Amino acid sequence: MKTACPVAKAETARPDAEAAFATFIRRLVQDAATLRAIDSGEVDAIIDPVSGRAILLPEAREALCRGAAPTNQMLATLPREEYQRLLAGLEPVTLAFGDVLHEPGEMIRHIYFPNEGLLVSLLTLVENSMALEIGLVGSEGMVGLPVAQGIGTSSVRAVAQGTGTALRMESSHFREALETCPALQRALHRYTHALIAQIAQTAACNHFHQVEARLARWLLTASDRLQSDLLRFTHEGLADLLGVRRVGITVAASALQQQRLIQYSRGNITILDREGLKASACECYQKIKDIFDRA
Amino acid sequence: MHRKQIVKPSDPTAVAAAVVMRLYVAGGAPNSVAARANLEAICQRHLKGNYQLEIVDVFEQPLRALADGVIVTPSLIKLSPLPAARVVGNLSDQSKVLLALGLQGKTP
Repeated sequence: MKTACPVAKAETARPDAEAAFATFIRRLVQDAATLRAIDSGEVDAIIDPVSGRAILLPEAREALCRGAAPTNQMLATLPREEYQRLLAGLEPVTLAFGDVLHEPGEMIRHIYFPNEGLLVSLLTLVENSMALEIGLVGSEGMVGLPVAQGIGTSSVRAVAQGTGTALRMESSHFREALETCPALQRALHRYTHALIAQIAQTAACNHFHQVEARLARWLLTASDRLQSDLLRFTHEGLADLLGVRRVGITVAASALQQQRLIQYSRGNITILDREGLKASACECYQKIKDIFDRA
Repeated sequence: MHRKQIVKPSDPTAVAAAVVMRLYVAGGAPNSVAARANLEAICQRHLKGNYQLEIVDVFEQPLRALADGVIVTPSLIKLSPLPAARVVGNLSDQSKVLLALGLQGKTP
């Protein structure tokens, strides 16, 4: 579900005119309290008394355009009253590739609702050095599920697979809010079922299926979650996620590219033939997809 | 985006003490969303329904903002009881909002 960028509703400053815009604001705003609010980033828009138009400040414009407004499906489908109750505790954050949201055995300080465009891997660690992906969370779900079940620590590492935005909430606040949000509780029950099924299917897939089929499965799943056919992952990163050697990913990606199912160039993977890639993937892709579609 | 307006009816037994406010926001911009959520949380906790809150989107009604002397959003105006007061920003500073609403020092 895309959120329309409302910037078009207001006349906005061009980046190259930001200095002039700042001068314009200083000329218009005289009182110290308002200037302090602007300087601390607490103001979204200014109303030009001459034109009578509302003009978004550059930071607000950028935040709206990059999706600071929630596009998380779990939040988007909540009744409006419940969402309003949650809003007070939610804060938008931008995550970068490799950001660790929580480690195994550590307290989960925040739960995260990823927006569209953000993927978070759930990794199980072995001997504290090797990591294997057992789950993938996008805008359909939430990171920090143990908190919803009253557990304060996680058994897995959650790490961002790229740059994107999310809404997060302190765990203590989330536990309190959850008690007054029955629709969110039901959504979390369904999501928990789907995530457990995904983890179980992934465990079997990692054991029984060939690298090429698993890579196709992973690319399709990531593409679904990101709602994009363009993915940015290195062979090395994919090898870590799938628990295979780098050369295994290189061979599998080359095979898929030779069949003109994907195109790979310097970390950019483009899915060229989705149906063909589905045919190359193991059955696990469709099974996991069906579970999430039904949840 | 439609103009959003919420009017919470006051407690009929305490009409004289009802706090009447107007919050100017800029659609779904982050500080505006936060201001609305912060204010509604404060109202629930400290005013318990004994208030009237109107939310005005300046993308829809910029002239109303100018008529109230508002040139930035989010801006909260307390209209009554007098004296009038205003707070600019996302209302995350609860003590500042309570002071403007004349509620500082009053326990919920």
